[in-house]
Amino acid sequence: MKLVLTSCIAALLGTAAMAEITITDLRDRTVTLEAPAERVMLGFYYEDYLAVAGEGAADKIVGLSRGPWAEWRPKQWQAYTQTFPQLADLPDVGDTESSTFSIESAIATDPDLVILAGWQFDALGETAAQFDAAGIPVLVLDYNAQTLEAHLASTRALGLAMGTADRAEALATLYAEMTADTNARVARSDARPKVYVELAQKGPDEVGNSYAGGMWGGIIDRLKGQNIANGQIENWGPLSPEYVLAEAPEVILLSGSEWLNRPAAVPMGFGADKGLAQQRIDAYKGRAGWGDLPAVQNGKVFGIYHGGTRTLSDFAYFRFLGKALHPEAFADVDPEAELTQFYADWLPIAPAGTFVMQAE
Amino acid sequence: MSVVTSDQSAARRFGLGQAGAVCAALVLLLCLMVADLITGPAGLPLADVLRGLADGPAGEDRRLAVILWNLRMPQTIMAALVGCTLGIAGLMMQTILNNPLASPYTLGFSASAGFGAALVILFGSALPVAMWIGVPLAAFAATLIAAALVYLVARYRGASPEMLVLAGIAVLFLFQSLQSLLQFMAAPEVLQQIVFWLFGSLLKASWTSVKVLCVILALTLPFILREVWNLTALRLGDGNAASLGLNVDALRRRVLVLVALLTAGAVSFTGTIGFVGLIAPHVGRSLVGEDHRFGLPMAGIMGAVVLVAASVIGKAISPGAVIPVGIITAIAGIPMLLAIILMKGRR
Repeated sequence: MKLVLTSCIAALLGTAAMAEITITDLRDRTVTLEAPAERVMLGFYYEDYLAVAGEGAADKIVGLSRGPWAEWRPKQWQAYTQTFPQLADLPDVGDTESSTFSIESAIATDPDLVILAGWQFDALGETAAQFDAAGIPVLVLDYNAQTLEAHLASTRALGLAMGTADRAEALATLYAEMTADTNARVARSDARPKVYVELAQKGPDEVGNSYAGGMWGGIIDRLKGQNIANGQIENWGPLSPEYVLAEAPEVILLSGSEWLNRPAAVPMGFGADKGLAQQRIDAYKGRAGWGDLPAVQNGKVFGIYHGGTRTLSDFAYFRFLGKALHPEAFADVDPEAELTQFYADWLPIAPAGTFVMQAE
Repeated sequence: MSVVTSDQSAARRFGLGQAGAVCAALVLLLCLMVADLITGPAGLPLADVLRGLADGPAGEDRRLAVILWNLRMPQTIMAALVGCTLGIAGLMMQTILNNPLASPYTLGFSASAGFGAALVILFGSALPVAMWIGVPLAAFAATLIAAALVYLVARYRGASPEMLVLAGIAVLFLFQSLQSLLQFMAAPEVLQQIVFWLFGSLLKASWTSVKVLCVILALTLPFILREVWNLTALRLGDGNAASLGLNVDALRRRVLVLVALLTAGAVSFTGTIGFVGLIAPHVGRSLVGEDHRFGLPMAGIMGAVVLVAASVIGKAISPGAVIPVGIITAIAGIPMLLAIILMKGRR
């Protein structure tokens, strides 16, 4: 009897182990895995991967497209390599943006799953099929699409592939609930403030890009702000300083990041010092004519991390913007605390730095 | 009578020496191609490479088969084909412009290819075709448009080298400024893609691109072969060539079309790999002289040698992420050019 039972259990376990995982990814491809991935070649969405895959996720990475992390987000890379020094020793397979991505290097890391961003998969084009030919499944995610559906689908696909479907579902639910709450609050408010957003990379002496429709522009539209760049530029581009003064924006948003060698940029993100960011924003406020703008007079100049979008934690940035545009509807929301809480709940490190701020 | 006979045998001996040089260069190219095939970021041991090659593209070890047959081999062959194409196009351009500084890119063909590629990189998401088809197609089409502009000028104002260069400079600046405009409009991330496309890289080589370039070469080769005697005659100077009964204007226009087709094919898949089309004709000429029967193959082989060598060097310098080969050709090509200049100076 005992023997029969044991063999039954063994047979059951056997079938469970044999069961394949079938996932539809963000390029509508069907990806089949024999078991949850243990050796991952990670192209992008590093934080989302760590959040969804949970415990031991960093140890499962066998290769990285390092450029988009170490060069685009140098301080974030620093923060993660302090906790996981092994990341710095992983083979770098190159970067599609600089045409250095080597599929050969990626195959050579001997992964059982390759995770790519949609833009990486698109850039590889026909050559991406070589992974299939080598029998290595490729999972394409797309947080860059910046839609609720793509965020949720990417998260769930990642959870299935890593064997952490429950964790992924919890994250997806959190994200969906937060987004719904943000939308409900925005719908309650009648405020339609005029907003000017500028990429604060080159310093106050040069006019940085503003955004219409895409990136911050799309988010301002969704949050029911009147983006003064609408109708002036396509997607991105600098606005004339005169036009900005004439429009008299009520909210000014300076988008900063971890750029290296940008001595006048507004530093935001990992490792960014709030005092320094305040100084740099003050320099922007000192631009000709800005002293009389309603946004400056009413203290409605905000700094925000340019890398805050296109990831699972971006809901907190949207709530911060929502609060900037509709202070009353978001009176009981503390987006900064929500961001810290997100890191505490889901990510292996604490967000040390300045990610959002209202300038004094 | 006997004088004529000895002249012919001298010519034949001369030809034999040149043919020998071409064969030696071909052997060098084959060695380099093998070296390119056995090196790569995967760091496969030689035994594995040989096993993978013996097993063929459908071999048991899928990863090995893909690395060798689908990744490395198209890259190696593409390097040789692109180098060969640029070498031949470069020599023809130098001959019809009667200018040792000319290259396939002199008449603005690279700027126009870059413009075509940048256009699709920037606005390609709105197109119904995939990026990897759209970019080479646009680069190819833009190159032909630039060539058509130069051709039209040559058709109506005569195809003297001065006229071709002037028309080419106009086209060059036109497409350069259009390209700058696109770069100005591009977001930083997109700008980076455009800039790196312009560097030229072999990483996107696939069997498709190899086939397309092979077809272009096969189609143009008969026409090129038809012109070898005429091009050699043109090296004697316009006056002498015309007195031999050659319509130099028509020859220049025909060769211009061939150069445009070759250049468009070479740059559309790999980007504007510089320097090969300038250096290879010089190396070729210094080895086999002005006779285009040998000069054209030699320039082609030398172009392939430079590009395959650059690919090997690139893989040796940076084993993981690959350095775009266009950057290396310039660095590796300059010593060769200097060597030729110094050798010539001594003579």
